[in-house]
Amino acid sequence: MTDLLRGIVGMSDWRVWAMFGVGLALIWLAVKKEYEPNLLLPMGFGCLLANIPFSSAVGGGFLDILFEGGITNELFPILIFIGVGAMIDFGPLLQDPEMLFFGAAAQFGIFFTMMLALLVGRIPGVTGIPGLKEAAAIGIIGAADGPTAIYVATRFAPALLAPITVAAYSYMSLVPIIQPPIIRALTTREERMIHMENPEHEVSRTVKVVFPIAVTLIAGIIAPMSVALIGSLMFGNLLRESGVTERLSKTAQNELSSLVTILLGITIGSSMGGKQFLNPTTLLIIAMGLIAFVFDTAGGVLFAKLINLFRKRKINPMIGACGISAFPMSARVIQKMAQQEDGSNFIIMHAVGANVAGQIASIIAGGLILALVR
Amino acid sequence: MDTIVAEGLRISGLSYVLIFAVLGIFYGLIKLLLRMLPPRDDSA
Repeated sequence: MTDLLRGIVGMSDWRVWAMFGVGLALIWLAVKKEYEPNLLLPMGFGCLLANIPFSSAVGGGFLDILFEGGITNELFPILIFIGVGAMIDFGPLLQDPEMLFFGAAAQFGIFFTMMLALLVGRIPGVTGIPGLKEAAAIGIIGAADGPTAIYVATRFAPALLAPITVAAYSYMSLVPIIQPPIIRALTTREERMIHMENPEHEVSRTVKVVFPIAVTLIAGIIAPMSVALIGSLMFGNLLRESGVTERLSKTAQNELSSLVTILLGITIGSSMGGKQFLNPTTLLIIAMGLIAFVFDTAGGVLFAKLINLFRKRKINPMIGACGISAFPMSARVIQKMAQQEDGSNFIIMHAVGANVAGQIASIIAGGLILALVR
Repeated sequence: MDTIVAEGLRISGLSYVLIFAVLGIFYGLIKLLLRMLPPRDDSA
C-alpha cells in the first residue's frame, strides 16, 4: 500500500509537473509541428518515464542501462553516424570542392558561443559553467549536428548533456525559422538573386570510393580524437559508394539508423530529471544554443561575401549559410529563399555541397575541440 | 585578461584556423583525385 501511495505523494514536487510539461511539449513539437519527430518524440516520452516519481525505468532500470551502454561509452552517436554516412551523397561536394570552405566558415558559431559561455560562466552567481570544458560543450551546439554535440558533451560535461542535446536538435529543426532573417539582414536582394552555374564535370565512382577512405586517414592522422566520428561517418559512406554492399548500406540508412535513434532519443530524454534539468544553466544553454546557430549562419554568409570581393564569378552568399551541418534542412531552406527572389534560380547543388561540407567540418571541429581543450 | 578566458580565446582561434587548414587539405585531395581518376576511369 505504501508503494502505491508514494507515487502519488511524489507528485507534490513541482519539478515533476514542470518536467511533465517539458516532456509533453517535446511530444507536441514532434507530433503537431513535425520538428525532428524521430528524435523529439522518443526524447519527450523518455522525459516522462524518467520523471514519474519512483519510476522503475530509471534508478537502475532499463533507461539507466541504455544510458550506460550507449551514451556514457558514446556508442549511440557513433552508430548514428554510420547511418548518416550511408545517407549522404558527397557527389555535389566532389563536383564543386570549393564548397568545403563554407563548411569551415560556418563553424564560427561554435567558437563564438564557447567564448560567450566562458565569459558568462565567470559572472558571479553563475555556477553551471565552471570551466573551458563546459563552455566547449555548450559551444558545440553550433556544430548543428546532434551526434557530435552528444559525443563532445558526454566527454566534457555529462551533467549538461540533456539541455545541450535538446538545444542542438531543437534548433536544427528550427533552421527554416532561424536562418532566413539573418541571411536577409546580411545580404541585399541583388546578392540573393545571384545565379551560380552547376558544375558540368562528372565524378567517377572510383573517386567516390577513395574519398571516404582518404578523408578518414587524413583527418585521423591530423586529429586522432576525431577518428571515431569521422571514421564511422565515412564507413557508412563507403558502404553506400562501394556499390557492392547495397544490403548493408540500406540497413545502415534504415534499420540501424532508426533503431539507434529510438534508443538515443528515449535515453537522452531519461537524463532530463527535474533536479538536473530545471536550473538557470539550462535556460542559459538554450539561449546560447540559439546564438551559436545565428553566428554559424552569419559566419558562413559573411565569408561568402568576403570571397566575392576577390572573385569575378560571384557566389550567391546564401550558400555560405548552408555550411552549417543541419543536413539537408539548410540546403532546402536556401534553395527556397533563392526561388522566392527569382523563380529561375537553382542553387541546390551548391547548397547541398556546402551542407555536406558542413557535416565534415562540424566533425573536424568536434575532434579539434576534444584534442585541444584540457 | 583572465587566464582561462585567454586560453579559451587561443583554443577557439586555433581550432577555427585548423578547420580551414584541414578542409584545405581535403580540397587539395579532391582536386588531385578528380585529376588522377577522371570519369572514364569507370569504363576501364
